[in-house]
Formats: sequence, structure tokens, C-alpha cells
Amino acid sequence: MPRTSRFEGRLLIAPLTVFLIALLGFPLVLDIIYSISRVGFENIRAPEPIGFSNYAKAIADPEFWAAAWFSLRFGLIVSVIQVVAGLGLAVFLAPLFAKRPWLIALLMLPMMVAPALVGLMYRLILHEFVGAVPYYLLEWYGDFPAFLGRDWAFTTLVVVETLQWTPFALLILHSSYAAISPDVREAAALDGARGRRLFFNIDLPLMMPAIGITFFIRFIDSFRVFDNLYTLVGPGAGGSTTSMSIYIYQAFFKVGDIGLAVAASMLLLVASFVVLWLINGLTARKAPL
Amino acid sequence: MRKPLVNALRWLVFIAAVVILNFPVIATLVTSLKSEAEIMTNASLIIEAPTLDNYAAVFAMADRFDILHFLTNSLVASLIGSALAIALAFPAAYAMARFGVGRSWLLPLAVNLRAVPLIIFAIPIYLMYQQVGLLDTRFGLALILCLVNVPLVLVLFASSIADLPLEIEEAGRVDGAGTLRLLVYVVAPMSLNVVAASSVLAFIYSWNEFLFGLMLTTNSATPVSVGASFFFAASGGGVRWGVAAAVMILATLPPLILGLLMYRQIGRSMTAGAVKG
Repeated sequence: MPRTSRFEGRLLIAPLTVFLIALLGFPLVLDIIYSISRVGFENIRAPEPIGFSNYAKAIADPEFWAAAWFSLRFGLIVSVIQVVAGLGLAVFLAPLFAKRPWLIALLMLPMMVAPALVGLMYRLILHEFVGAVPYYLLEWYGDFPAFLGRDWAFTTLVVVETLQWTPFALLILHSSYAAISPDVREAAALDGARGRRLFFNIDLPLMMPAIGITFFIRFIDSFRVFDNLYTLVGPGAGGSTTSMSIYIYQAFFKVGDIGLAVAASMLLLVASFVVLWLINGLTARKAPL
Repeated sequence: MRKPLVNALRWLVFIAAVVILNFPVIATLVTSLKSEAEIMTNASLIIEAPTLDNYAAVFAMADRFDILHFLTNSLVASLIGSALAIALAFPAAYAMARFGVGRSWLLPLAVNLRAVPLIIFAIPIYLMYQQVGLLDTRFGLALILCLVNVPLVLVLFASSIADLPLEIEEAGRVDGAGTLRLLVYVVAPMSLNVVAASSVLAFIYSWNEFLFGLMLTTNSATPVSVGASFFFAASGGGVRWGVAAAVMILATLPPLILGLLMYRQIGRSMTAGAVKG
């Protein structure tokens, strides 16, 4: 590599690097400093170092652990459902999409809607007097649950999140399914594999990497859930629906405890690194796509 | 033969999936077309007397809650944010693909950034914005939207530029074109597909962003994803559901139409973004 082009290359990545330092690097440094300081809005420029007591406070807070548990459970459950539902739809509907590719556009639409607006829409749809869902449940079954009450809020949120993002799993898994060479299937068919056996012995193993990636992307996205949760229930349902993101938001905006909020942020960052490390370890062992 | 039967079942499943997955939008659209009186007495999906009154009512309350103001904020911030993300990522992706500069750290950083909840940076960014006066400005929001989109755009560009044939660029070099000229007159035109696809996706993600809009704006720069909920409390007492529904439809229409028109490009970008990342 000649010297001039290395120099040019550095020039070309300079704007992005500066941008990332300003909006990511600098905030990260602030995060670290504030997390080990006593800090409020009055001494924001001169935080007073106090060691790790903010972290101790977060770790000792049962609500912090409740939020972490909520996020983990929520992320795992919705990701599994989405991958299974997306896989089922992708494979079953594949002949339709093969003939009319535009049909998939109608199934991708839910992803175009802001999750925050979806949350608001469900406030209308689940409303006991004006909502369509309670109306039809009453019509057909004579009863409906308190969707946003303590007992049902978690399930409701799982359904809301799943309905919006199953299309993502469907899209990725459909393109992975469509990419399987017909030769492979023909060869397997010659050997007598068809129907279920063809799917479980040929298609499914070939789709495994895509399934893994889809699961991780959905998990990462739903673990940090904020928008639809905030607009639909807020911290409601007796705090039973507080995710990590909501916990940090509230520690900062509602309680005004900057130290606790940034300490929790740093713990969340560490948790994300652990997840990333796990993903990289798992995908490195598998064959590349 | 069982074949026609299976095919009919496929169509049935497809239609059911379309209705169920799009149910929030469908039900909200239906409500937005009912009169306030009908909403209170008829919660079904059948509209007895369709009307556009709710939409008129939304625009009529512009003196208190201005939907056009929120829509404009979203439009301006999303356009700037997406354009900036592309302007920053395109040359960087080129440098990585052709000069190998930054490939060892910038690309992994961008890829991993997508897995990090951005709320981690939200509080220091809020405090920074407070100090430099970027709170509640469209430009401040646009910077964050750029940050949100840069990882995906960078990943898409990095893989597409690496796939471009080197010969054309080499010919350009022989003719004496510098890197900047090559980038503008040779690489960019060949990458128009990816630029278009990634800008549509970046625009939709920007339009739908909520957390930073909520934290960093109060009114002047509030995007419609945040402003929509203001209309729920617009009448003081109970929620005017017709108005609320109309607002939600208006706020959803732009990305929804883009999604229908550009589903192919969006699908390709989403898949590439997932697989290449």
C-alpha cells in the first residue's frame, strides 16, 4: 500500500471518526466519570468522585434486577416465538412468494410503523369501551381480560412485540430458504427424501446460520425494548413491565439520580458486551453464510 | 389431487397473517374514519357512516397542537440524519474496502454498536446537548438519527463497494483522477442502488425513532413519533379517540407508503444488513 493512499484513506474515514468520537466516545467517557461520582444538575461540570457507590446502589436495588430479569425474559420469549412463527410462515408461504414476490411487501408493513405509534395504537385497540379487541372477545366469548393489568401486561407486550417483528424473521428466513439451491433438493428427492424429511434433514440444517442470526438480532432488539412499552403501559402495571431501558430512563428523568442512571447504563453496556462475546463465539464456530 | 387444497390453505394463511400482523394499523384506520359519536357506540371494524371529520379536527387544533409542525420536524430531522449518515459512511466504507484503512476497528465497532442499547449514551448526550444548546433543535435530533443509522449504512456500503469491479477505478486512476473525483464520478454512480436502498431504510428508521426524540426535544423539534401522544390529552378530559386515531394514521402514512413502494430495496437492505453484520 503506497503511503499517499494510506493517507488518503485516513482522510476519508476522518469525518466519521470525528463524529463517532463526539457522539459516542465523549458520552462514554462522561458515563464512566459520572458513574463513579456524586453528581447532580448543580455540579454537572464538577462531579465529585465517590468510588463505586453508584454501582453498589444499582446492584442493591431490587428494581434494577427486576428490570434486568424482565428484559432477559421478554427478549428470550419474543425471539423464540418470532423465529418459530417466521420460519413456519416463510417455508409454508414460499410457493406464493415465488410466484408473486410483491406479496411479501404486505407482510413487511408492520416493520414500517414506529414501535412507539404501535404502542399508542394498542391503547386504542385494547380500550375496554372503544377498542376492537375487547369488542370482539365480548361478542365471541362473553369476556375479556384486563390486558394492561398486572396479570396480563407481560403477555400483552409479548404479543404486541411479536406481531410487529415476526415479519423481520419471516423476511430473513424467507430469503435464506429461497437461496437453497434446487439442485440440493433434487438430489435429496432422488434419495427418497420428501415432505417433512426433506425439510428437517436438508432445509433446516442449511438455514441454521440464518436462524441463529435472526434470533440474535431479535433478542438484542427486544432486550432493549423501550418505545412500545413506554407508550402502551409506561412503568404501569405495578412496575411489572419495567425493562432495563425504562429503568435507566426513569432513574434519570423521574428520580433525577444521574449517578444511579449512568451506573445502570454501564452495567447494561457490560451485559451487551457479554452477549456480543457469546454471539461472536457461537457464530465463529459455525460455517459462514 | 391434494395440491389445489394446499394452495388454498396457503392463501388462507397468507391473508390471515396480513390481517393479524397489520391489525393495529387496520383498526386504527377504521376508528379514524368513524364519527366521535359512532366510536362510542360501535367498537367493531364495520364503519356505519364513514367520515373525514377527525382529520379535519386534527388540522383545526393547529393553534394548540400542530400536526404539521411535528410532521415537518420528523421530515427535516430524518432527511438531514439519513443524508449525513450516508455522507459520513460512504467515504469511510470506500477507504475500508480499497485502502484497508480502519477495517480492523471501524467496521467491528459499527457492527457491534448495533447490538448496544443506545440508551447507554442517552444521558451523557442529553447533558452535552444541554451545555452546547442543541436540546430541542432539529439539527441536534438529526445528529442522533445519523448516529442511529451510521452502523447499518456503513455495513451496507462496505460490502457493496468491495463487490464493485476494480478495473473501472484503475482506468480512472490511469487517466489521472484523484480519489475524491473517483469517489464522486465513478464509485458513487455505480453505488446508486445501495445509496437509494440504504437511504430509504435510514429515513424510515429515523422517522420511527422515539427514545431520543422523547429525551432531547420539548416542543420546537419534537418529532411526530413523540408528538402523536400529545393529542391523546388534547381535549383535557377524556381522550378524543377519533382525533388520536387520525393523528396516528397521519404519522404512520409516510413510512408505510415508502415501505410499500420500496419493499424490494428495503427487504434487500434488511437482509444484507443482517447477514453481513
